[in-house]
Amino acid sequence: MSAVKGFLDRIMLLDLFAGLGITFKHLFKKKETVQYPEERCEPSHRFRGMFRLDEERCIKCTLCARDCPIDIVYIDWHQELNPVTEKKEKLLDRFDIDVQRCMFCGLCEEACPTNPKSIWLTSKTYELASYDRWDNLYVDIDELQDWKIRPAYTDKEVR
Amino acid sequence: MTGMFDSVRETVGPALFDYALSPLVKILVLIFMGVLPLISYLVLAERKILGFMQVRLGPNRVGPWGVLQPIADIAKLLVKEDIIPSTAIRWAYILAPCLVVAPAFVIFAVIPFGPSAAQTGGALDFFITDVNVALLFVVAMATVGVYGIILGGWASNSKFSLLGGLRAAAQMISYEVPQGFSLVIPLLMAGTMSMQGIVQAQFEQGRWFIFQGWGLGLVAFFIYFVAGVAESNRNPFDLPEAESELVAGFHTEYTGMRFALFFLGEYANMIVISAVAVTLFLGGWHAPFATTEWLSFLRLGFLPAGLAGVIWFSIKLSAFLFVYIWFRGTFPRYRFDQLMDLGWKWMIPLVLLTVFGTGLWKILQ
Repeated sequence: MSAVKGFLDRIMLLDLFAGLGITFKHLFKKKETVQYPEERCEPSHRFRGMFRLDEERCIKCTLCARDCPIDIVYIDWHQELNPVTEKKEKLLDRFDIDVQRCMFCGLCEEACPTNPKSIWLTSKTYELASYDRWDNLYVDIDELQDWKIRPAYTDKEVR
Repeated sequence: MTGMFDSVRETVGPALFDYALSPLVKILVLIFMGVLPLISYLVLAERKILGFMQVRLGPNRVGPWGVLQPIADIAKLLVKEDIIPSTAIRWAYILAPCLVVAPAFVIFAVIPFGPSAAQTGGALDFFITDVNVALLFVVAMATVGVYGIILGGWASNSKFSLLGGLRAAAQMISYEVPQGFSLVIPLLMAGTMSMQGIVQAQFEQGRWFIFQGWGLGLVAFFIYFVAGVAESNRNPFDLPEAESELVAGFHTEYTGMRFALFFLGEYANMIVISAVAVTLFLGGWHAPFATTEWLSFLRLGFLPAGLAGVIWFSIKLSAFLFVYIWFRGTFPRYRFDQLMDLGWKWMIPLVLLTVFGTGLWKILQ
């Protein structure tokens, strides 16, 4: 019986018409295309994007620079007496990251002892392409705190 | 309008007007204002519809909704380098694309896009010529197109091209037989080979040939269309240019405008096969239910009679072209032995039975 049914199915080309039905249905579906330069996908909350730094939270311990496997975090600091609190404070002179060699391993973030972290990679900034390797890929402290060159999507998910 | 035609006719002389000037103008108008724009926008429509079927948008960067994409494509193809491989057989390599395009365009000469001057009482026939062996002419010309593909595959002196050409030869021989036989069925039903005559016969019998004769018309139509898809090397029968196996098949070595000519030929063939199917099976330029009184508004009586015919013809034609694209979006390519199996073991016996049945129907009528 099933052989007869299979033969009839083959003669009537039922499976072919089923296939045509599926493509016809898809013709009217909502399109999945994202028109990239005009509209962008927002990455998930766990997306490991470009660095961000919060100078207020940073205790200048340089653990991130020491943990970096390829030594691309450059930190200089000096001590200064705060005239208001009359306490010695560490101040950053320089906090640079040479992003062109960075592999986004996130070890700097893991090494950071502050809570919440002072340096983190979940910034959702992913458009890091540049025409020149020396162009915009050596980022300094201002840029690490305030992304003006590259769009930063959202800053809400600070851990 | 009529007066203008008459005055021109008198100035150049009736013979010259009827046999040279008027057909020439019609051919130029048909090719450059009808077929070529239709082909270029058919490519765009194909890319768009395929995109939609794959839940994408398709081309949309050149102009709004990508409407200028064909123009950009043509400009690109025209400025591309024209490479002739040093080991290719030069004359055959140059001849092959022309042999694909020319027959496809020649067939448009016998396809009636609308009524004749006598039927509308106007001055213009909506076809270039109405010969009484039009059906034979269509079959003959469609066959010539195959030589271009085989020749292109052979002249390129590349193994991929040659394999594509060989496949084209085998496929065409297999599918020409059922296609030719399926054309016998409307011929039997109408009793004439003239395209205009077949359209008129469908009107007079009050029924399109797809619904005529115990459903045999439907079978014949199905066989004609499937064989037509195979004849024009379209999915799922695009073995001669199977990208996944043969790079690009018979046109692997072609570049620029010569490659575009092969493409032009393929799309012109699609249009030709659809137009012949519309003429033979779907009542040509007649409106649906043309003999039913209460549906007479479908005849678009408010338009000039010829224009309404052309509009109905275009609607039917575009439905066929959509089905072509729909097939491409749906079916994977047949394997070579499956293709041969389908052609020889299923379609040829079926079409022979259908011809026999139609003969019976004709006798019993």
